[in-house]
Amino acid sequence: MSPAAHSGAEAAVRALVPDVETLARRLAEVDYLADEGLATALFFALRLPQPLLLEGEAGVGKTEAAKALAALLGTPLIRLQCYEGIDAAEALYEWNYPRQLLAIRLAEHGGEPVDERRLFSGDYLIRRPLLAAIEHPGPLPAVLLIDELDRADDDFEAFLLELLADAAITIPELGTVRATHPPLAILTSNRTRDLHDALKRRCLYHWIDYPSAEREAAIVRLRVPDAARELAVDVAGAVRRLRDGELQKPPGIAEAIDWVAALRLLGVRRLDAAAADRTLDAVLKYREDQQLMRERGLQRLAAGAGDG
Amino acid sequence: MAEAIDLPAFAAAFGRAVHAAGIPVAPERSARFARALALAPPARRDRLYWTARAVFVSSREQVDAFDRVFGRVVDGLADPAEGRGDPNAPPPPGTRAGPRAAPPHAAPLDAAGEGGAPSPSGLREPRPDGEEAARERALPVAAASALERLATRDFGQLSPEELRALRRLMRELSLAPPPRLARRSRRDRRGRRVDLRATLRAGRRTGGDPARLVLRRRLERPRRLVVLCDVSGSMEPYSRAFLQFLHAAVGGADAEAFVFATRLTRLTRALRGGQPDLAIERASAAVRDWSGGTRIGASLRRFVDDHGRRGMARGAVVVIVSDGWERGDPALVGEQMARLRRLAHRVVWVNPRKAARGFQPATGGMAAALPWCDAFVAGHDLNALSAVAEAIATPRSGR
Repeated sequence: MSPAAHSGAEAAVRALVPDVETLARRLAEVDYLADEGLATALFFALRLPQPLLLEGEAGVGKTEAAKALAALLGTPLIRLQCYEGIDAAEALYEWNYPRQLLAIRLAEHGGEPVDERRLFSGDYLIRRPLLAAIEHPGPLPAVLLIDELDRADDDFEAFLLELLADAAITIPELGTVRATHPPLAILTSNRTRDLHDALKRRCLYHWIDYPSAEREAAIVRLRVPDAARELAVDVAGAVRRLRDGELQKPPGIAEAIDWVAALRLLGVRRLDAAAADRTLDAVLKYREDQQLMRERGLQRLAAGAGDG
Repeated sequence: MAEAIDLPAFAAAFGRAVHAAGIPVAPERSARFARALALAPPARRDRLYWTARAVFVSSREQVDAFDRVFGRVVDGLADPAEGRGDPNAPPPPGTRAGPRAAPPHAAPLDAAGEGGAPSPSGLREPRPDGEEAARERALPVAAASALERLATRDFGQLSPEELRALRRLMRELSLAPPPRLARRSRRDRRGRRVDLRATLRAGRRTGGDPARLVLRRRLERPRRLVVLCDVSGSMEPYSRAFLQFLHAAVGGADAEAFVFATRLTRLTRALRGGQPDLAIERASAAVRDWSGGTRIGASLRRFVDDHGRRGMARGAVVVIVSDGWERGDPALVGEQMARLRRLAHRVVWVNPRKAARGFQPATGGMAAALPWCDAFVAGHDLNALSAVAEAIATPRSGR
């Protein structure tokens, strides 16, 4: 990469996020409320720069964090969803064979010689997420979200590590593509298996906890702006109590948002047992969980139940 | 910390303290920490905390140990283990002993080696000094008859030497869960899918006409093997032998290993690699509730919630080693077994007491679990263990 472009990008990032407070404020401007710990981790991911590994329960906003970061930078969010058996053709690039074949046929019809160099040029390349992230032209780095890395095989992990370290991809037919603006990599894992130490060594790490009730109420109100403030507070408190219970699937932030939206549609202003009963489907996604909470009594979730 | 302190020196010293607490720290991390401190000088205590934590911690299990080091180094506090609080509040001065009941982080290796770690009674074996090692080497010569005897000796009655011999035999046990189709494929003339890339490349030789199809077929990969082993009081005679079994499973079949009594502990990492004695010692040191009471249902729920549901048990062969003596509510065992079975490919229950004369699976937990097991085997001695291996290798029949 040209050093000039790189230092230019660095300066631009520095100007955008001079310190952690500014980052937190700008994240809030794109409707993402990060607490001190997450804001600090994101700050260093941007400024060191260093890939960041995010872990946390489902629905605490791991993916949202990456989206918010991309929105803040005004750059694309490039997402690679991992799964078992994912390979280079699906993560990096693939030649567009049907199109190449078509070009060959056309050339034959026209009696022109087939130019192989043209066949293996950028025009016939399908860019998968990793290549797209490496090729991102700037001026600010793209955000590369590598989602659920633990689902991919470990040899893919090793390959990814190399790619993140070099910020370059070699395509035999084209040569090496080097990033002018290395992407900001956010990795998430659900911890179904241990990631390699080598990868963890390269990454910053942050465990995202569920937000506090106040923060969650604020998040909910950002997403459902016309919901009453009291309702958001009620639901945030109720969701917190649900997470303490022994549920199979404790509700995430998304469920809290859905719940408020559902309650608002019904014209509910404060959460009570009857309203909770009508809308339980929005927040508990297992029949057993719903049963358990109904047995224990939904008034425990109602407004003010936990305040006394 | 506003005064001009020597950042690199502070960073290096802090890194050493974290490392000493059992969190692996490569020098590059200390360097990264120094850069981070220079980038955003921590004006407040909690900023320093989050900065150090983002750099040094790389899994949630390490957070507690990290908090203690941070408390000690930064606040000069001894070891306040009673910190509590809201998970989102910035950590109080001292420590933040996680509100989620401290998952056991592996004890530092040297502590385990020097006999400083809490050792489960009767489970610690002497370190392999010269004499011991010589005896182990001599064992193969000690005649096949000894091995023969070993094959039918109940695991509950083995001497330390026999246990040692057993370990080697366990390693030879082939634990191979049935395969599943992988996404990945390989060129194969009898394959079903056409490999366009290779077909076209080959076609270039015939003037751009793909004259010969290159075929691929899906690869097969072994399913994941997950072993959950009960180490509560009633299972104590068998604990050592099955810990060796876990070690063999992790080493030989890349299995995930857990033990439980009152709580669930993941041992995969502790058991992986290195010298077997050390690995097993490391694993025993990581378990906090040896020979405790049994909460099978709660432990299973922990497993399904924290690991199984997230994908570890999906399509896997899950082996549970337990006598089924549940202190808690047997109904919970049944409930959690039902969940586990919905996730797993097969569930195999190994009960070493099954071989005893007059055994009836009447103990509450066992009776509740049985309807959800695909196989129920004894596994009380080496011969019986090959039946376990067989049960693991059996593909699922239509349920």
